[in-house]
Amino acid sequence: MSEANSKKEFAENLLAQDPPSADKQQRYKEALLKKIEHRMCLQKAVIVAIYIVIFLAAFGAFMLREYTDNVVHSICWGAVSLHILLWFLIYFLRGIYMLTAGISEKNSGKDEKQRWKKQDRFITIVAILVFAYASTILYCSFFLNDPLKAAHLAASIFWATVFFLFWYPFGTASLLAKLWLEYKKMELNIPKSEEQNLKRQDK
Amino acid sequence: MEQDKLSNAILVLSCQKRDELAFRELVNRWEPRLYYYLRRLVENENDVWDILQETWLAVFQNIRKLQDPLKFPTWLYRISHNKAVNLLRKENKYVQITDEQMADYCQNNNTVLAAKEQTELVHELLGKLKLAHREVLTLYFIEGFSINEMAQIIGVSGGTVKSRLYYAKHKLHEALKGANHV
Repeated sequence: MSEANSKKEFAENLLAQDPPSADKQQRYKEALLKKIEHRMCLQKAVIVAIYIVIFLAAFGAFMLREYTDNVVHSICWGAVSLHILLWFLIYFLRGIYMLTAGISEKNSGKDEKQRWKKQDRFITIVAILVFAYASTILYCSFFLNDPLKAAHLAASIFWATVFFLFWYPFGTASLLAKLWLEYKKMELNIPKSEEQNLKRQDK
Repeated sequence: MEQDKLSNAILVLSCQKRDELAFRELVNRWEPRLYYYLRRLVENENDVWDILQETWLAVFQNIRKLQDPLKFPTWLYRISHNKAVNLLRKENKYVQITDEQMADYCQNNNTVLAAKEQTELVHELLGKLKLAHREVLTLYFIEGFSINEMAQIIGVSGGTVKSRLYYAKHKLHEALKGANHV
């Protein structure tokens, strides 16, 4: 302990030999923090802009459904607006899932972490492929002449979307349950060890 | 010491969630040490401030990629080392020592003990060492990094760090002896 303290003291003394000038330090720090603040604002602005663009795109597609005379196009534009909104929701749910997984991952072992990473990568790749496939089908349905066929095709793409709409919330719920169980286990273990300590002290 | 590490890790985690106050605290905590380290590598003070700023901006940009918050010090020094080396390379001042012979690493504790009593002298003598030796010794004295950590920061093998540290301590020991005789 004393060696660690003397090492720390020595390091502090060494740092005191060449301290930064207070004036320059202040100026530099202000400039740095301003830059950081700007970057933070820019990042937030970009995220908000992306959200707005997505909502506008979905809303635009919905409005096009109203204004078009072609029945097939009307059905397809309706499906496009839903397609955009649902995939945006999936992306949002995935964010929550990843956040929860990040917390739960910290308590797990290396093997479990790798297994989880592999699974997540697989699901993400499948989701991207499904999104691309559904978008292509939706695009193709615009060129159909039969409204019934177009409606069937547009409706069929939502089955895959629904799978992910279930996957991520259920995944988050199971991770939260796991975390809660671990917390409860900890809570149950603490009094036990305290009890043991008291017994030891009595002896 | 452990408490320091833990509070650092908490600050890093908060920074990963884009907490501005945590970032300020992190800068306040690490800046003097980083400044001292960079001053040993780069002569011009203005360049040191520029490198410091670039380092912190890189930290802010990439802190989310840092998997283990406990490895923050190594990661931080690695970034500032790279920035300093880039600048020195531009000015043709960076010479990588590769022809050092591998020496058996021994903990030259006498040197360290003697050095601890004479901080001012050590600071002066550090300036007289070769850049590579000065760097490892500064990292060793200020942060107490292990051989592996120093190897990660400088980007060389553990053997090279051992060798550099051995030579640096040996030279410092000699210089301290000389200074004491005078």
